[in-house]
Amino acid sequence: MKVTFPHLGNAYIAIEALLRGLGHEPIAPPPTTRHTLELGSLHSPGELCLPFKIVLGNMLEGLELGADSVLMIGGWGPCRLGYYGEIQRILLEALGKRVEFITLEVPRGSYATYFQRFRKLAAARSAKALLHGARLSWAKLTALEGLEELALKARPREQISGAASRYLQEQLARLREAETVHEVQQIVEEAEVGFRAIMGPERAHLLRVGLLGEIYTVVESFANLGVEERLGELGVEVVRTISLREWVENHIFRKALGLYSLRPLRRLASGYLSGFIGGHGLESVARSVALARQNLDGIVHILPLSCMPEIVARGILPRLSKDEQIPILSLVVDEHMGESGFQTRLEAFVDLLQRRVDALGKQRSACLSGN
Amino acid sequence: MNCKIGIPRALYYFHFFPLWETFLAELGFEPVVSPPTNQDILQRGLSTCVESACLPLKAFVGHATFLVEQGLDLLFVPQVISVFRKEYTCPYLLGLPDLVRSYLPATVRLFSPVLDARRGKGQPTFSYLRFGLQFKPPLQAFKAWRRAKAVQDELEKAQQNTNSLPGGLNILLLGPRYLTDDAYLNGNLLRKLEELGTGVITAAAYPDAITWPAARFLAKPPYWTSTRRAVGALEQAINRIDGVLSIAPFGCGAHAMQGVLVGSRISGSKAAHLQIYLDEHTSPVGLVTRLEAFCDLLERKMSG
Repeated sequence: MKVTFPHLGNAYIAIEALLRGLGHEPIAPPPTTRHTLELGSLHSPGELCLPFKIVLGNMLEGLELGADSVLMIGGWGPCRLGYYGEIQRILLEALGKRVEFITLEVPRGSYATYFQRFRKLAAARSAKALLHGARLSWAKLTALEGLEELALKARPREQISGAASRYLQEQLARLREAETVHEVQQIVEEAEVGFRAIMGPERAHLLRVGLLGEIYTVVESFANLGVEERLGELGVEVVRTISLREWVENHIFRKALGLYSLRPLRRLASGYLSGFIGGHGLESVARSVALARQNLDGIVHILPLSCMPEIVARGILPRLSKDEQIPILSLVVDEHMGESGFQTRLEAFVDLLQRRVDALGKQRSACLSGN
Repeated sequence: MNCKIGIPRALYYFHFFPLWETFLAELGFEPVVSPPTNQDILQRGLSTCVESACLPLKAFVGHATFLVEQGLDLLFVPQVISVFRKEYTCPYLLGLPDLVRSYLPATVRLFSPVLDARRGKGQPTFSYLRFGLQFKPPLQAFKAWRRAKAVQDELEKAQQNTNSLPGGLNILLLGPRYLTDDAYLNGNLLRKLEELGTGVITAAAYPDAITWPAARFLAKPPYWTSTRRAVGALEQAINRIDGVLSIAPFGCGAHAMQGVLVGSRISGSKAAHLQIYLDEHTSPVGLVTRLEAFCDLLERKMSG
């Protein structure tokens, strides 16, 4: 089968490897652009969130490239994402596209259905090839997130503006071509050296800002207008709290085995939020507390317009910000966002953080000299 | 003990008011329900609640702050996670007590039993009983719950009346109860439909025992109770109605998808579909115009 799939940050590198291992031909949709979004919005109900529209646009572009099936993730609520695949299937069918949907989700019912789906997905290949594909895909996912993290560190310290982002793109392109786990490891090792070469001497105080919110808008740089790069270029080190690898571990493997527990998150969020509210709402609140306690300088919270779990979190964050003494900027993204307004808000936020740090530093030195 | 406890007249109050009022009264409280939504109450919600929240949620916050201003320092705000097996209500409701908490002074106490029927009806019962046990000995608490449950069941049975369709135009009204039953929030929509001479049937007329199996025709039945009820009710009523009117709060994610499901189900049938989104800027006048136009359309369709 020729399988296309929606973009999610750079995850296409790992997904391609996985699909190849399963014996399919991966058809990665072209990189998400304005056109993708317009295409998706044209065929979506207006009230659905930005991720839905981009994902539908990706699917349509992938199908134009000749794909006959779509790989999508699903779920059982309460977040809307779990039902998106089904709605997209109905919409594509209404458009007259003949598509097979392969939905990755914890199936309702028995493990037998799980197995059946897997059988359908694994297109008659040897166990060895399957295993290799899975291992390679996992290695690539780990590697690409590692590279991105290195870039986050390098960007505020780079000597030539834009060097870190360019280097990251080069390495990701190499990673995409890699065919063995060994090669993948080599790329990561080399990149560590490469990123170090980009970085200048250590600055006295680098602002550190946590990035959290709804997973798609945090990971997909088109949806968040490249917030990581923008902050990096403003001289801020971005601390990611969301990792795709961790998401897959928790929500696909651990949950299927019944080993996933929300207790650590609930403990962190206690006093603000009592439990799961769908999507990444609990994570946003819990991780905000964690970041505040790690003495970060600020938090950027990203959510798509009308994302219900994140709106609940957003309602709670102002109190958290006051109690934990950490500035939080909530950014709502939708298809009508303008880049300059976005940039202005980020710059203003970074200015505020810098001034706050300076003021706190003065207070501290005043205390010391008073001794 | 006869202390007052406030119940905001919003959201799941419209589903469970007989149970909640009776139960709290039996437990020795004096339940004080906020008045039906009015401009003053809604305004309170609009000025406090997080801005991207939906209209009924803002109204809820308005009701809660209103009650607190009346001098009540106890509020009954259950966390309604689920009212049916393997289904959810809505992410807003999952975080409701925590959200409301952040808008109220610290002296106010919220009673928030967790109602989570995802694994069956046992949990809510257990949760109510455990709540009751804080105030009454076991036997009395059980009796209080049983009495409250009886009142609730009676009302639900009375609502399940699907034979009330007169001749003329018949419309299936889909939408969450906290919109269809709140005349202020929906701009007195039911009255207007009545004035236009249409017969209205709502999803509430069909019990879960009917809508749940009826929604199985979908490849993947929706996992929000109100959407599943809507789709199931549509499946049941489709041959008896001329049009479907969906009302939803602006920004309601589940309803955007419900629109797609309803649209794909009625495509090819004679029924027409009108979706109305309500928010604080909705004007009742524009609403009337749209309803009239919709009814005109249906009549024209009927006469061929």
